Amino acid sequence: MSIDGELVVFIICGGLSVIGALGMVLSRKAVHSALFIAMVMINLAILYIANSAPFLGMVQIIVYTGAVMMLFLFVLMVVGVDSSDSLIETIRGQRLFGILFGVALAILLIGGIGSSLGDKPDIGLKAANDEFGGNVEGIANLIFSDYLFAFQATAALLITAGLGAVILTHREAWKPKASQKELSVARFMVGAGHPGNKPNPGVYARHNAVNTPAILPDGSLALDSVPEPVRSRDDSLIVDHRAVSTVVELVESEDQN
Amino acid sequence: MDPIYYIYLATLLFSIGAIGVLVRRNAIIVFMSVELMLNAANLVFVAFARMNGNLDGQTVAFFVMVVAAAEVVVGLAIIVQVFRTRASASIDEPNLLKY
Amino acid sequence: MNTFTAPEIDYVAIAPILIVAIAALLSVLTETFLPRSVRRPVQMILTLISLIGALIVLVINRDIRTITGGGAVAIDGPALVLMGTILILALLSAFLVAERSLDSLGDSFAPSAAALPGSVDEREFSARGYFQTEIWTLFLFAVLGMLAFVVANDLLFMFVALEVMSLPLYLMVGMARRRRLLSQEAALKYFVLGAFSSAFFIFGAGLVYGFAGSISLPEINDALASTAGETLLIVIGMAMLLVGLLFKVGAVPFHQWTPDVYQGAPTPITAFMGATVKVAAFGAMMRLLYVAFSGIQWDWEIILWAVSILSMIIGSLIALTQSDVKRMLAYSAIAQSGFILVGVVAASPSGISAVMFYLIAYGLVTVGTLAVISMVRDSTGEATHLSKWAGLGKKSPVLGAVMAVFMLSLAGIPLTSGFVIKFSVFAAGIAEGDTWLVIAAVVASIIAAFFYVRVIVVMFFSAPNENTASVAVPSIFTTITVAATVTATLVLGIIPQPMIDLLTNAGIFIR
Repeated sequence: MSIDGELVVFIICGGLSVIGALGMVLSRKAVHSALFIAMVMINLAILYIANSAPFLGMVQIIVYTGAVMMLFLFVLMVVGVDSSDSLIETIRGQRLFGILFGVALAILLIGGIGSSLGDKPDIGLKAANDEFGGNVEGIANLIFSDYLFAFQATAALLITAGLGAVILTHREAWKPKASQKELSVARFMVGAGHPGNKPNPGVYARHNAVNTPAILPDGSLALDSVPEPVRSRDDSLIVDHRAVSTVVELVESEDQN
Repeated sequence: MDPIYYIYLATLLFSIGAIGVLVRRNAIIVFMSVELMLNAANLVFVAFARMNGNLDGQTVAFFVMVVAAAEVVVGLAIIVQVFRTRASASIDEPNLLKY
Repeated sequence: MNTFTAPEIDYVAIAPILIVAIAALLSVLTETFLPRSVRRPVQMILTLISLIGALIVLVINRDIRTITGGGAVAIDGPALVLMGTILILALLSAFLVAERSLDSLGDSFAPSAAALPGSVDEREFSARGYFQTEIWTLFLFAVLGMLAFVVANDLLFMFVALEVMSLPLYLMVGMARRRRLLSQEAALKYFVLGAFSSAFFIFGAGLVYGFAGSISLPEINDALASTAGETLLIVIGMAMLLVGLLFKVGAVPFHQWTPDVYQGAPTPITAFMGATVKVAAFGAMMRLLYVAFSGIQWDWEIILWAVSILSMIIGSLIALTQSDVKRMLAYSAIAQSGFILVGVVAASPSGISAVMFYLIAYGLVTVGTLAVISMVRDSTGEATHLSKWAGLGKKSPVLGAVMAVFMLSLAGIPLTSGFVIKFSVFAAGIAEGDTWLVIAAVVASIIAAFFYVRVIVVMFFSAPNENTASVAVPSIFTTITVAATVTATLVLGIIPQPMIDLLTNAGIFIR
């Protein structure tokens, strides 16, 4: 085994691919997984180029990484970036079974392939690439002669995919969208809630931390000035600074006495 | 170098993807693992194309990319629909179907 | 430097596929351009005309034997029979899809798949009588994929056809009108496991390509014949290809999706999928094994022996424990896949004919049974729990009798098609020396008979109580389907000879 350029490229890109694959499977956050698999795909593109497949390498980066993985990231944004796995297994031992199955599969495949491919000659693609005047031309020849029907069937597939995406996600508007005037009128109806801006936390209070409710002109607390996540988590988080200022007045008056 | 190393790498990536499908509970990450398996298959085709000396492998890999893209569209549409209904992307939470 | 030569294409040979493809594309255009009120009738007419037209063209050109499309498409006897079967079963399922008199709200599909279940949008769409007419487009694309799948002569076209067949099905499974949460979950599960097995398929194809230098089935066979012999590489490749195909037919251990999807999908889609996907997948499997891998027959026979026995036994045993009719039918489908595999393992012309006969008869019974199930309803929709079927035979004797015919056929009782098909498959197996396999199959049949007959017993020998569901009156669509399937089941059982003769002449795969 000679140390040539291709081996170096293989070790670097192959190593990074494996690291990326493991990172994807083991990441807690889905966005990290998406970025790891993008890393795997780019390294694979370099390996394709090293295998005399320049067209495929470019298509891998442009289409696969650039379009498909970006689609994944978009959907992650829609679904919720922080959606994490539940750690509870539905079937006992499924995690262990999965790992064992994967390891067994790897051993079986590598062993089986290694034993039967020992001395397969590496013919290389120089002749095939030159046959039609280039790699792209050679692939084009195959697509439009031997694999023409697969090409047409893929067109049907893409139509189905587009149609399916529209069916499942396009919500038709069955009533006309409310105009600005209608929205404004609805806001000022009696019982519709607060028509103006809500006060920020801490207005007229002693502190303006996010858990300090604003004080209304009559001295009562405006609880809805505290942001919703803080309010819904725990009532004890909301600090009523009127009571504190009363205690301070009490102490001051005691000192004076 | 011996091109068979590419096949070993592809097999390793395929197995890691298979582990990902079986172990992870988040539907999107499971689907990403399937994409990894398809990429590994592509690497097998490209490496064998080079070893066999014909371009059929590269053409097949090209079509696999197109098919994978279409599958991603449908799969993510289904996942988005389930998410919107359920506000979660976990495979296990919909436990309405028992054994 | 060479110049490009266009492939020769025999358009007459592939005419049925072209007709369905053109219809599917016209279907997309009707969705795009026609106003909502006209869409449904146009789509229905388009679907019916295209399926019937393709069938007529197929029958007219039934003597064509050719390989065309640059070696990608093989039209031979089995291909024609299987294409015809798919078209007939699709036609009968299309009638079920068209049915909208059974459910008070409309047809079996959600008025808008994108509207959230239980939301105001959904109620509004339902009240306005909206229909998701894209279901017809997806239906035609799925049929197109299946037709392509059975004629595919190289691994790439087979893979693309597999995906063209599967993606519309994943979508359609999630579009039920009732119990939408269950339906969406079933779609997600079907999709994830389907994608997983497709990845195995294409990786196996890669390994086979590495061995043979080509993905064309005849050339793989030549490579197997010419090299020193099989190597582990091609055996592993073939095994991974089989994983993908066995998933589609629901054989053990790739059956996890079957009960959930059968139960969650809208009943017309369960009928369509349960009948035609099996036909397509077994057709492709036979072509793959007999044309490409006949050189390593010993290896795939071992694998299929094991899968067949597991499917028959496990499918039958678990079906005994089920109390939901659709889930029971799903586990019975797993067992029936095992029976069909007995014929595939036989690997003889009589085995091929037996498998094709099984697929036709079983497909008809499946469509008919699910049509009957769609008619048994209570206030919440379909009543699939077996307790709600108590005394149904007394309340509505016609339905009870029809269901009894189907159950007896599935159990393999004489005078129904089920007996003839089981007999032919077992005979083919014994003729090829797979005696133990046939014995296991007979044992599994006896176990299976219990849960089939249990349905008849519950229907006829229990008293109807207040929980018993009622039978909705169907329109002409479901009536045609039920009448056609029950008639065919009885006719094929009493006078099977014409069908057997037709199939015997169609048992050779072209190379």
